[in-house]
Amino acid sequence: MTLRAYASRRLLLGLVQVLAVATAVFLLVQALPGDAAVALAGDQPDPARIAAIRTAMGLDRPAPARYADWLLGLPRLDFGVSLVSGRPVAEFLAAGVGPTLLLAVPTLVLLLPISVLVGVTAALNEGGRLDRVLTSLTTGLHSIPEFALAVVLVAVFGVQLGWLPPTAVGVDLAANPAVLVLPLVVLLARPVCTISRLVRAGMVDALSSDYVRHARRLGLTETRVRYRHALPNALAPAVQQVARTADWLLGGVIVVEAVFVVPGLGTTLVDAVAARDLPVVQGLAVVFAVTTVVVNLAADVIAFRLAPRTEVAT
Amino acid sequence: MRLLLVLAPLALALLGPLFVPERQQRHAPFTDSGPLGTDFVGRDVWYQVLSGGRTVVLVAVVAAALAYAIGVPYGVAAATTRRRWVDEVLMRPLDLLLAVPSLLVLILVATIAGPGLVVLIVVVALVGFPDVARISRAAALEVAGRPALEAMRLQGESLRRRTGYIGRSISRSLAADLGTRLTASLYLVASASFLGVGVPPDAADWAVMVDRNRVGLFLQPWAVVVPAALIVCLSVGVNLVFDRALKEVRP
Repeated sequence: MTLRAYASRRLLLGLVQVLAVATAVFLLVQALPGDAAVALAGDQPDPARIAAIRTAMGLDRPAPARYADWLLGLPRLDFGVSLVSGRPVAEFLAAGVGPTLLLAVPTLVLLLPISVLVGVTAALNEGGRLDRVLTSLTTGLHSIPEFALAVVLVAVFGVQLGWLPPTAVGVDLAANPAVLVLPLVVLLARPVCTISRLVRAGMVDALSSDYVRHARRLGLTETRVRYRHALPNALAPAVQQVARTADWLLGGVIVVEAVFVVPGLGTTLVDAVAARDLPVVQGLAVVFAVTTVVVNLAADVIAFRLAPRTEVAT
Repeated sequence: MRLLLVLAPLALALLGPLFVPERQQRHAPFTDSGPLGTDFVGRDVWYQVLSGGRTVVLVAVVAAALAYAIGVPYGVAAATTRRRWVDEVLMRPLDLLLAVPSLLVLILVATIAGPGLVVLIVVVALVGFPDVARISRAAALEVAGRPALEAMRLQGESLRRRTGYIGRSISRSLAADLGTRLTASLYLVASASFLGVGVPPDAADWAVMVDRNRVGLFLQPWAVVVPAALIVCLSVGVNLVFDRALKEVRP
């Protein structure tokens, strides 16, 4: 299959996926207990008032009609209107995207170099002391829940030593990069472990492969063999994992945002669920689904280019 | 070393509740009375630590077990069916679940169903079961193609015996994956409790303690650091122990 045919097929599949997720979330949200109109009526739950609010918000219309309207609005980036504040959902999404990107982009930029460094170092020392230490470290750290790590780091570096600000409360993120240091460390911990292990495994495999032996026999320098021939093949499985990480980061890292009080997409989601602001929840779910599809597609295409022999999911 | 890392928090979690006195004194919040001080409502942190591990560990284990209980039959059914469309119908929806962040599912379902440990268990199992189903399907697919199974089918062996054969054959691949599933379950349970999903806000639970006592981090760090460190030890320990066991089984 050519790259183009493959990509367009995957794109179509992705569209179906987004549609299915949108539908599933719409149904789930319908099942949420509590009526937004009752909540909005507040202290005076007067039936007439509730009915008026319901009509104003279109909640009295049948679910299929609302579903159709909502779905048709999506391609125009019209996600509907927040039930709680009456502002367009798109505004909420736009407000959350900034902080989320501010955490996601530096994490992604740092992720690959660090993981490759750790993975390649371990692979070149295969079986040695350094390899064993690095492998135990990455295996162990891999499973720590972010909030536990985050709180321990805040207690040590933010409170005891006072080197870094403990949270981002009331701080402009972009103007104070120091605020981002601890969240970035926490966000990097798990992905670096996973990806460096993949790089190590891929590199060990590649270094003992026939084509590397052949390249060495041809008299290529060791550096060239390692980094031009072995590494790209070792990276192909890592790229898929980077995609999953990117997907996770762009989906708003709920826990890390909660600990460090960053007003990103994750916080937007938690607040929206707590306030029963259903259109916002639906909008977020659609954004997350689109991100997943796009990121995975990009990763598969890159993996295809890096190691054309690799079987790709169809 | 590895074993100590997992046994110490595990023992504390499972046996700890036995050493908590029935009647406890309340003190002022975030003071230094008691070995680890007091928490946000003035309870003794040491007793909270003793009684707070059980739910985390038990919920994680039960949820992982439930994920297996649903996922394995599901995956095996998809692998052994002779009709392709059944396989597709069973497995395709699982791809969709992947496109939704697991914490989003967790928060939504928990909001619909209300709080409660059962809800937490069911949701964590629900989030974990697609992976189990996929692994069992892959393992069973390899077994299902074996001549041995074909022969059993031709001889008219009962479905029960054929299923038993498949079960025994895939148990090894499933065991290899057990550590990953357990740590993933532990991770989800802890993160969910931290976010306040499925547990009462004043529960004696390590993750809840970390969340609730964060406000007093400057006054009384032990109330936050000790439970957080225990969760860290437990996750790291479980992962290392299973990793080592796996290496010994399959060098």
